[in-house]
Amino acid sequence: MHLMWRMQRVLHQFRHALITPSRNARTAVVLGRLLASAFVICFATGIYSHLLQDPAPWMVFPNRPIWLYQVTQGLHITAGIACFPLIFAKLYAVFPELFQTPPVRSLAHLVERASIALFVAASLVQITIGLLNTYQFYSLFPFSFRHVHYALSFVVIGSLAIHIAVKLPIIARYWRKRDAPDSAPATDRASEFADRDELRRRTGIPQNAGITGRIFEWIDTKPAPRPPDPRAAVSRRGFFAAVTIATGTLVTLTAGQSFRILDGVNLFGPRKNDVGPQSLPVNRTAKAAGVEESATSPDWMLTVSNGSVTRTFDYAELAALPQHEAWLPIACVEGWSQYASWRGPRLRDLVDMVGAPELASVRITSLQQHSIYGVTEMQPGFVRDELTLVALQVNGETLDLDHGYPARIIAPARPGVLQTKWLTRLEVI
Amino acid sequence: MAAERVEPEEVAVSDDMNLWRGALIVSGVLLLAIGGLTFLSEVKPATYLGVGAWLAGAIIVHDGIGAMAVFAATVVIRRFDRVPFAVLAIVQAAAVVTVIVTVVVLPEIVKQAIGSANPTILPLDYVGNLVLVYVGIAVATVVAIAVALVRRPSSSRRTN
Repeated sequence: MHLMWRMQRVLHQFRHALITPSRNARTAVVLGRLLASAFVICFATGIYSHLLQDPAPWMVFPNRPIWLYQVTQGLHITAGIACFPLIFAKLYAVFPELFQTPPVRSLAHLVERASIALFVAASLVQITIGLLNTYQFYSLFPFSFRHVHYALSFVVIGSLAIHIAVKLPIIARYWRKRDAPDSAPATDRASEFADRDELRRRTGIPQNAGITGRIFEWIDTKPAPRPPDPRAAVSRRGFFAAVTIATGTLVTLTAGQSFRILDGVNLFGPRKNDVGPQSLPVNRTAKAAGVEESATSPDWMLTVSNGSVTRTFDYAELAALPQHEAWLPIACVEGWSQYASWRGPRLRDLVDMVGAPELASVRITSLQQHSIYGVTEMQPGFVRDELTLVALQVNGETLDLDHGYPARIIAPARPGVLQTKWLTRLEVI
Repeated sequence: MAAERVEPEEVAVSDDMNLWRGALIVSGVLLLAIGGLTFLSEVKPATYLGVGAWLAGAIIVHDGIGAMAVFAATVVIRRFDRVPFAVLAIVQAAAVVTVIVTVVVLPEIVKQAIGSANPTILPLDYVGNLVLVYVGIAVATVVAIAVALVRRPSSSRRTN
């Protein structure tokens, strides 16, 4: 039994030593609201992006405003980055909970603690692999980022719903500032343990016995200030200031990759506007896609087919068709985006030349091999859009090989991975 | 052992609230089930161990190392009680901002050093920019401390 009492004592001592003015239920509620909002934004925008790339046949997506995907995915990444300071702060505020005694009170309590452990672990992994993915640091993942990030998103949001349900009375109790008096650090009651120290009661071993006892005694000689000590308010304000400044700094210095207005202070974004061939970033180069030869071959042709009707166009024939301009962003799943002026024939004009029906989808095939995006499908709404082009030019120049020469798709409100480069075939389906 | 509960037991739970709690729990369990099924159907079994290691590693690195280091740092900083409290608070806030920015940017610097798939990925001088931000934090800290000291009541300035 001694071991259990010793453990109980250490847990008590930890909780006691962890008391600070910012560790209370009100802080947890304030940070929880912000973090939950960021999680919900990430989940909603992430699911939207997933469905765009992997739609059910009946799904219809908006193609206006043209910046829709740029904004949803920019928000996804930016809110994800904001989660780092917020989750660290939230976990800081509730850290003493880790040391509650007894560690397990009942089956329900065990389930609750296990679900919290899963929630915390899944949330930390989710935002970390998301961030590392924007750096393309794939070598750190012993798994498929795309599949794990997708599955974990449901785990995180499901756990969040359960967590809110469990804590709802506390959330309601501390929702408003005026209902949350400074004088109630959540851990107060639980940490006043001197008279409930079983180890001393049963064996007489004093609390400052042993190495841990002395360390905790040493900590206890200089406790954190407690209300009504005015320093407690200073400490709590300093905590919130630190969280606010950290969040603001990270968002300001990275969001420029997604939102042009912050481009001037883009110090840490993994992408930078105007950096790349023809002032446009690239995700997959022609070399990486293995198309350097096939895309530059003089025999290159674009095949457009509808059942048995097939037409082929070489580059000169495409360039001789009526050309249209579109000012559209490339918006990557990794969050960066950039506008460019694209020029080429409309996709709908091309498929109409093989008699495509009004509500037809188009299967788009690229020269690139070994990529899940080598063959994609475009729904009728995007096919019929006047801004959807088979682009031959960008910003007034012939497409760079890395931007999809000889011809690429560009459409409004679609993820960059679906803006297929190095076209070879368009099939009406 | 109800007295051990951290939550204030006297919080009111209305019928309305219980309705919401029920709805949240049902949707939460459903979402967890979707997550679990998605995981089983989409993630290759050979990589389960890797995912498990990441989940366990996240808890160990955060709770076992990060949070404990913060705890140790705060109890040590508390000993500097000859330094005005507001100054300590400002220094701690600056340290928090510095650490969090570093945590986010450091892997970017490492990946840049390893090399990217093409020159438009990680194109900036992240080390230089990080130093720039450190300098900015240091300057802001000094200014904040100066302001805090000037605004202190003169009586406490004398006693310290």
